[in-house]
Amino acid sequence: MDADADVPMEDVSDERQLQQSYDDAASHHSYQQSYSLKNKELSKSNINQLDDWIEKLGKCEPLSENEVKTLCDMAIEVLQYEQNVQPVSVPVTICGDVHGQFHDLMELFKIGGPCPDTNYLFMGDYVDRGYYSVETVSYLVCMKVRFPNRITILRGNHESRQITQVYGFYDECLRKYGSATVWKLFTDLFDYFPITALVDNKIFCLHGGLSPMIETIDQVRELNRIQEVPHEGPMCDLLWSDPDDRGGWGISPRGAGFTFGQDISEQFNHTNDLSLIARAHQLAMEGYSWWHQEAVVTIFSAPNYCYRCGNQAAIMEVDEQHARQFLQYDPSVRPGEPTVTRKTPDYFL
Amino acid sequence: MDNSNDDLYPLALLMDELKHDDVANRVDAMKKLDTIAIALGPERTVNELLPFLNEVAQDDEEEVFAVLGSKLGEFVPLIGGPEHCEPLIRILLILASMEEPLVRDKAIDSLNHVSTEIPHDMLLRLYLPMIDSLSQGNWFSKKVASCGLFKSVLIKVDAATRRDLLNIYYKLASDDSPMVRRGAASHLPTLIDKLTWFTENYPNSEDKVDNKDWEIISQIFQHLINDEQDSVKFLSVDVLVAILEFFQSVNDSSHNSEFLISSLKLIGDESWRVRYTAADRFSKVAKNFSKNFADLSKLIDPFISLMNDNEGEVRKAICKQLPEFCEYLGEYAGNKDVILEKIVPIIDKLSQDPHENVRASLALSVTHLSPVLGKQSTIDNLLPIFLVMLKDEFPEVRLNIISNLSIVNEIIGINLLSVNLLPAITELAQDGKWRVRLAIIEYIPKLAKQLGESFFNDELLSLCLSWLWDPVFAIRDAAVNILRELTEIFGSDWANKEIISRLLNNENENKNAEGDGVTENSKIDYSNFITRITCLFTITNLVPVVDVHTVENKLLPFVNSFADDPVPNIRFNIAKAYLVIAKALVEAKDTLPNSVSLIEQILSKLGKLSKDEDFDVRYYSDQSIEEIKKLTG
Repeated sequence: MDADADVPMEDVSDERQLQQSYDDAASHHSYQQSYSLKNKELSKSNINQLDDWIEKLGKCEPLSENEVKTLCDMAIEVLQYEQNVQPVSVPVTICGDVHGQFHDLMELFKIGGPCPDTNYLFMGDYVDRGYYSVETVSYLVCMKVRFPNRITILRGNHESRQITQVYGFYDECLRKYGSATVWKLFTDLFDYFPITALVDNKIFCLHGGLSPMIETIDQVRELNRIQEVPHEGPMCDLLWSDPDDRGGWGISPRGAGFTFGQDISEQFNHTNDLSLIARAHQLAMEGYSWWHQEAVVTIFSAPNYCYRCGNQAAIMEVDEQHARQFLQYDPSVRPGEPTVTRKTPDYFL
Repeated sequence: MDNSNDDLYPLALLMDELKHDDVANRVDAMKKLDTIAIALGPERTVNELLPFLNEVAQDDEEEVFAVLGSKLGEFVPLIGGPEHCEPLIRILLILASMEEPLVRDKAIDSLNHVSTEIPHDMLLRLYLPMIDSLSQGNWFSKKVASCGLFKSVLIKVDAATRRDLLNIYYKLASDDSPMVRRGAASHLPTLIDKLTWFTENYPNSEDKVDNKDWEIISQIFQHLINDEQDSVKFLSVDVLVAILEFFQSVNDSSHNSEFLISSLKLIGDESWRVRYTAADRFSKVAKNFSKNFADLSKLIDPFISLMNDNEGEVRKAICKQLPEFCEYLGEYAGNKDVILEKIVPIIDKLSQDPHENVRASLALSVTHLSPVLGKQSTIDNLLPIFLVMLKDEFPEVRLNIISNLSIVNEIIGINLLSVNLLPAITELAQDGKWRVRLAIIEYIPKLAKQLGESFFNDELLSLCLSWLWDPVFAIRDAAVNILRELTEIFGSDWANKEIISRLLNNENENKNAEGDGVTENSKIDYSNFITRITCLFTITNLVPVVDVHTVENKLLPFVNSFADDPVPNIRFNIAKAYLVIAKALVEAKDTLPNSVSLIEQILSKLGKLSKDEDFDVRYYSDQSIEEIKKLTG
């Protein structure tokens, strides 16, 4: 329990129990049916509020601190009942890292079609590196709350307290809100994000990759995910690992997770009756790249990553017959630099 | 007693807000100034608010002053009319004398506005001394401010005073400080326009503008045109234009030779900003000489030299002038050859200019040369240039050409145009970059209008339909929208025959061969979700623009056939489509006797959808039901 020192203990045990009782229930039924276990429906006024927020965020205007608080409370209501392996049905469009490149996220919706008309599955890393992490993650969370059945948002290794303090989200929150409150709200929310998804029982989607401690998808279902991303162990690996040309398990140069070879991927797909593992986490110059003779695909949805890598981005449409189509795209036509509000961060005072 | 407190409240509040530490708060407070004045009423505004503002105007930041300066311009009605305007003008004068141009300009604008609201004698009594004292100010900012005030009085004074004013203006235009000369230069065109207006409207006035005035103005102009600062000199181009317009309005061409010398001097100036401004106003200048062939011809070489200018911005500006200048030239027989021999070769060169903005600018104007050059020369000389530009790598260039094709169409006819240009358009329509495709798509309705129905059907319709199946959503969406625009152009029957029947027949055929998934060229594979939802969007979007019988007999059954679709996204879009159809039915209830029963049908279908297993389907169904019930009362 060292790793989740950040999370209030009551919360954890609470969620544990929920998760436990839920898993018990789930193990008796099929996993797909029970996600509406305690699904509260949105009230009309909630919907109007969310629609207003989505419109505002669509113009790249951040929500106020109080609005973020309300949004995160609503999001916890939705996300806590999602599963570690969230079932997703086809057709769906699968997307990789976004990294705060808000305008490119809008471009993504121009390419793939707007949500809710198109169903989306995002595989994590919404924040850090880009200039608009706040707007990006607020927008996606808003969509999630407004259309829980139309969009799935998984957790990436950047959806963590530790990483965001180093790679920009924390600083951006300070800059845009003058305090770390919004950062705290979002990083607390990240603990509830599902860590993997299973598209029509055939495509296993997650941010990083496989773990030597996970042989079956059922083992993922048994994890307690509602915590800060741990430094090691299966949950860490799922968010950190990378496929590799070398066979077997290898030490990851990232210092967390592992590298896994074609033999591992093939074994995992065979054991779990999968056709594909879709993951993000790594830059792909063409926006996507195949691994392990098409047992694994990397999808990366941040064009010109960090505003200088010169890469294309891609998304993967999966239709009802499981046919896949990759759509590649370039950076959006970018408007001028942001008008950052002149607010002195607290630490200067 | 409560009332008196209320009365004090607005002013106290304003004073409070204006003491706020944050400039933004003070600016916001100042923006509400007129509301405060209304609340106080005219008397207290004059007695309490204005003295207070008089102090504020000497002790705050520029942002606040700027707002104050512009707000006070609207204050004459709020202080109970012009008789109390002196304190108001005093405050504006303080602001107008400030060094910050933003504040100064706002205050000058307001002073000029106030001048239109006060009686004539008051205007002269207050403004003439003000202009006089500002123009002799000890600091450049006051002199600059005075330049902006002349227009309030210049044509409201007698001839002698006017000449005095112009002499003061001459001093300003030859001031030591370039800022003052700049101010004088930039306001001079407005002053000359005022004189032109006055002369046109009061030709027999005893104070009419005569040679004495023009001598002074001409001296001012000579000063400006020879100014050592190019930031002053380039403003003299507009002065020249204003002078030329005056003499055109009185049909006086006796000074043309002098003006031509001045024009040529500006066009050939060594500073590119001057040349740029001259290029940008070229046809305005040329217009003055268009009545005289010899004068006009002297502008041809300068025009060409601007087209060959080293600076891209100059070339860009002169490209815009092509149509008008060539039109003036074209009015003289034989000049067509001059255009062909001298100007077209340079156009050819500019069509491959290294600056994309120059090419875009040329693309916007070059098609307008067709009417001047006539059919054969357009085919021989211009079409090759159009073709090159249509393939330009910069999308704006291509688009500018396409957007102006109708002019060419009128001259050379649709057949020639299509043979030559359609291949290029088709090629662009299949460009790998989706924004290029989008640019062409958005232009299609314009093209359709120019080309006519039968030609469009033969050459472009299949292209339009193919965009419906584009992998990029934005393209499909654009295609959906242009099909609607095309229906508005060609009518309901056209849509029925060319679009709806294609989508529907396919739908029926597909049902017969269900599960086959085999697609011929013209067959649409409805097993794909994106195909279904795109068809649904297309059909829904056509509902408002086709006749109601088509809606009843074709579109509604089509929508019904999707109501049990396995994908919830389709089902909630069906729910939205029902609302669009119901709206059309309600609007047409006079011509369609069974509209009521059709709406009942729709409501019952929606009722079923509102019990769907998916939340979004239920939500949008409920929304549609609610809206339809509102419509039908």
